[in-house]
Amino acid sequence: MPSKPDALWYKDAVIYQVHVRAFQDSNGDGIGDFRGLEQKLGYLQDLGINTIWLMPFFPSPLRDDGYDIADYVSVHPNYGTLDDFKGFLDAAHQCGIRVIIELVLNHTSDQHPWFQESRKSVDNPRRDWYVWSDTDARYRGVRIIFVDTENSNWAWDPISKAYYWHRFFSHQPDLNFDNSAVREEIWNVMKFWLELGVDGFRLDAVPYLVEREGTSCENLPETHDVIKELRAKLDQHFPVKVLLAEANQWPADLRPYFGEGDEFHMAFHFPLMPRMFMGLKLEDRKPITEILQQTPKIPDVCQWCLFLRNHDELTLEMVTDLERDYMYDEYARDRSMRINVGIRRRLAPLLENDRRRIELMNGLLMSLPGTPIIYYGDEIGMGDNVHLGDRNGVRTPMQWDGGWNSGFSTADPESLYAALILNPLYGYQAVNVQSQKRMPHSLLLWTRRLIQVRKSTPVFGRGSIEFLYPENHRILAYVRQLGSETVLAVNNLSQSAQAVELDLSRYQGSIPIEMFGRNLFPRVGHLPYLLTMGPYQFYWFRLRRL
Amino acid sequence: MAEESILSDELVRHLISVGEVDLLVGVPTYNDARTVGHVVQVVRAGLLKYFPRERAAILNADGGSQDETPGLVQAASISDARNPAALRSLRTLHSISTRYFGNPSRATALHTIIAAADLLQAKACAVIAPESSNIEPEWIDRLLRPVCRQDIDFVTPLYRRHKFEGMLVTNLLYPMTRAIYGWRIREPYPAEFAFSGRFGSHLVGHEMWREEACRAGAEICFTIAAMAGSFRLHQSFLGPKGHLEQSSPDLVPAMRQTVGTLFWSLDQYFTTWSASTETKGVPTLGAEYEFMMESVRVNRERLYQMFRTGVAELEPVLASILSRATLDELKHSAALDEQQFQYGDELWVKTIYEFAASYQRSVINRDHIIQALVPLYRGRTCTFLLQNREASEPEVEQHIENLCLTFERLKPYLLELWQGRKGGS
Amino acid sequence: MRDMIVSELSQATHEVVQEFAHLLPRLLVMLIIVCAGWLVAYLVKAMLRSALRLLKFDRLSEDAGAAQLLNKAALPSSTELLSRLVFWVVLLGFVLLGINALGVIALGEDISRFFLFLPRLFVAVLILFFGMFASSFFSRAALLAAVNANLRSPRMLSYSARVVIVLLAVSMAFEELGIAENTILAAFSIVFGALMLGLAIAFGMGGRDLARQFLDRRFAEERVPAKKEDELSPL
Repeated sequence: MPSKPDALWYKDAVIYQVHVRAFQDSNGDGIGDFRGLEQKLGYLQDLGINTIWLMPFFPSPLRDDGYDIADYVSVHPNYGTLDDFKGFLDAAHQCGIRVIIELVLNHTSDQHPWFQESRKSVDNPRRDWYVWSDTDARYRGVRIIFVDTENSNWAWDPISKAYYWHRFFSHQPDLNFDNSAVREEIWNVMKFWLELGVDGFRLDAVPYLVEREGTSCENLPETHDVIKELRAKLDQHFPVKVLLAEANQWPADLRPYFGEGDEFHMAFHFPLMPRMFMGLKLEDRKPITEILQQTPKIPDVCQWCLFLRNHDELTLEMVTDLERDYMYDEYARDRSMRINVGIRRRLAPLLENDRRRIELMNGLLMSLPGTPIIYYGDEIGMGDNVHLGDRNGVRTPMQWDGGWNSGFSTADPESLYAALILNPLYGYQAVNVQSQKRMPHSLLLWTRRLIQVRKSTPVFGRGSIEFLYPENHRILAYVRQLGSETVLAVNNLSQSAQAVELDLSRYQGSIPIEMFGRNLFPRVGHLPYLLTMGPYQFYWFRLRRL
Repeated sequence: MAEESILSDELVRHLISVGEVDLLVGVPTYNDARTVGHVVQVVRAGLLKYFPRERAAILNADGGSQDETPGLVQAASISDARNPAALRSLRTLHSISTRYFGNPSRATALHTIIAAADLLQAKACAVIAPESSNIEPEWIDRLLRPVCRQDIDFVTPLYRRHKFEGMLVTNLLYPMTRAIYGWRIREPYPAEFAFSGRFGSHLVGHEMWREEACRAGAEICFTIAAMAGSFRLHQSFLGPKGHLEQSSPDLVPAMRQTVGTLFWSLDQYFTTWSASTETKGVPTLGAEYEFMMESVRVNRERLYQMFRTGVAELEPVLASILSRATLDELKHSAALDEQQFQYGDELWVKTIYEFAASYQRSVINRDHIIQALVPLYRGRTCTFLLQNREASEPEVEQHIENLCLTFERLKPYLLELWQGRKGGS
Repeated sequence: MRDMIVSELSQATHEVVQEFAHLLPRLLVMLIIVCAGWLVAYLVKAMLRSALRLLKFDRLSEDAGAAQLLNKAALPSSTELLSRLVFWVVLLGFVLLGINALGVIALGEDISRFFLFLPRLFVAVLILFFGMFASSFFSRAALLAAVNANLRSPRMLSYSARVVIVLLAVSMAFEELGIAENTILAAFSIVFGALMLGLAIAFGMGGRDLARQFLDRRFAEERVPAKKEDELSPL
């Protein structure tokens, strides 16, 4: 761990999202575990990431891949014990890697003891821990999130003979945050893990914590009050820990989740992500610049989290109908790839395994303002399997080598928690860590270099952004600035070579130094700066005045 | 290459930034600030509504306007959320305004647009007249869709017009081009039209740009080139035709731009039209014709008087153009009073054909030949006005159709004149 | 005395015969020159005639209106006339050369002056020809413009244009030839100036209102929007 904890460490973070189940199996049962994960910390340290975000590993019936939690303060036996987790956590800290874990606040599994109690009777002390109703008429008009599987936000409980509210799967009843006991218990859960040493929480599904009649039951002021309460306690008892919000909302609706620096430290910039893919297909920067123009300013201590892909579908909730249809037609012509108003594909298949496009998208991820998150496996260009149900196609075992179970597990292949990717294009024999370590220009080693360059300056994580608008709309160019440090990023979104003239009059006299090769480029003069760029090429220039 | 000398460095720089497009809409202007803002807004709306996924650009070729024209066009550009328009669009829509070299000239503006379309590899290009203040977004769809989706090369418009509007078209241009070139294109001198990349490439290096007769009436030249070449044609109904509010076009320049160019083309395309013997219909989107039937006061007496004066005063000139028989018939008609006067279809067609033949032989200065036709045209319009004063829409159309058939029937007469067997004068 | 007369007569006769004998070869040379000149003139005439026919010179002079003039004067066509003129000029040139060969000094200077005069004659003829052409072209243009603009007396306008241009061409031709230069120049200036002054006064006084209306229409801010009755768009 760093000797002097920096209160804003999350602004310099490069986060690696991983599911313990998918990474490494140490005991041969076909399921990844914490001991296995601990064994692979060296790989992650070598890659250059400095923060891990762990997906839920709690005891759970696993009907929603662990997002249906049945015990908040334990570890699912599939993944090991609490001691195993502690061992991993300490080892990560030794490697200089922080760990953020995931807490699903909004709902629990229906197998959670709290719910089992609550449903017993109306007099049960925990009755009020969930949202019950005699009819399903309350909160009419509230949108259904899992449209492919649910047709109502109310589910009938035969034991309790009443309806309970669930914004997600019907086996995930919503907790009632109007109940102070719930809030108190949630804080206790957080305290438990903080005392163990975790560095922060990703809080899942935060917009839906509180319900009120006649509203959309999303982003209500009362929800923010809950967050503020938790944050206040966090700051008081555990400073330098971070809260990361998962709230799939428009930028203007996301802004309140930062409060005045008294709610979340970080939030995912959901609307940006599909627009990056859209801009690439359109060969037009407009979707990207437009959404960032609309993104409100956030408190200085707060940070956006950027990502290309994650464990969920590539969500198309926060786009217009026109844009959604375009994305479906361009990225998911095959309907089996579509789920829940989104596309369930990994990064490499979405980009047709085009190395140039993959590099460009990662370049954008690392240079746009925010903390970047890499989804496990995308650093080697892993593929997906749309034929696995739900979103499990993007959660297949990590591919370490070309051998037995790709080095993930010694178990029988048939007993793996999910089948490995086998096809000749993305299969583990073609795409794996060991092969790519031996290829100097592999995607893995390129990604490592990319992270290295990113971390060489704080300007990417902490600096301002100013867009340049060259007339050539295929070029996305912006200047990042922090103090005297200035970096110019120029990205060609087109599959063909482009020429662009940039107005760099403000930086006249500067010498651009290309950051990967550290070569000098012609000095900026009074005329527009001409650059010619290859297909999908990007440049990062440090502008130095000497 | 021709386009290199007509595209300024500044325009080329803009075109580099725009890059390859699927659609280009060109608007040629000269001091059109009164209407161009609205026209370009509607063009933009049409592109966004009907072609949201296509890469498109708007190009204004301006002749050096002293008013706000270029600024109004550039304001229509959609880029990077700096445009306050509520209209959501997937893509950047470039809107470029450029000043072309030389004096204000519709031909130069069109040449610039066609050259730019060729450089940008536009699959389809439409040209919209800046005075079309009643343009609707649907016009963009109706002009470009046949080119984009049905592989058409040249789309001409169809308008809802007053039955007495565009008489030069209904009494001369349409029937004659139909008879000569074998295609029933109702508006051979289109204010709005669209063309494919293939046809644009054919036009861009064409020798027509070096011919003064062609530059005067570039639009009709395009129509003739499309009819004479093996290009796929189409017509689309748009709506009421736009006009500049406060001016009515002077007849002499109008004749030069249309009839002069048409006559000139007969020599260029003789091999093609002399071999064509039948007329073919053109695929049409929407109504073939629509007339507005409101009554309008026209000073027929004045027209007739100008015709009579013309025949009398220009007799020596007409004698060198027309045959003796035709001239005698004309003089006989001019001697009648207005109520009895009739410039019948057959006489009119013979007049036109003899004029065309004389134009080909340059019996006198060609521009003088065109000017000499003007009073005779007035006489013809007099007859048309009288004939259709109380006529219904189908009746008007039937009269026009009859005239077309007369032009077709007398085509061999033109061929004889052309080959010199019957002397003109 | 008789012997003296006989002797003088013989001597005089002898001198005449000697003079004649002296002149005869020169005469012979002159005849040869004239004959050769005739041949050359004929050839030139034939070549020029062919060239003019190829260039359709008759058509041009029809356009110029010269053909009609010649017709009225019962003269042959322009091509024929020009060819014959050139024939006679060339022949005359050779005749004068022949006369020069006779050695009559007094004529020598006149002959030189004649040859110096020829280019100016040629230019004058050209001026006249193009003047005729221009007058025909512009008078027709004026006629057509006047008819199409519905002006009164289009023929008078056309005729006036023709007369002015012809007058100008004739004046220029005479000036080129150097014949009564000053008189012609003065006469032309007076006529032309008077004509223009007359027109200006007539327009200024009689057309005052028309002029004001014209200027209003051209330059005033507010234009009268009403269309004239017969001005439906032809296109």
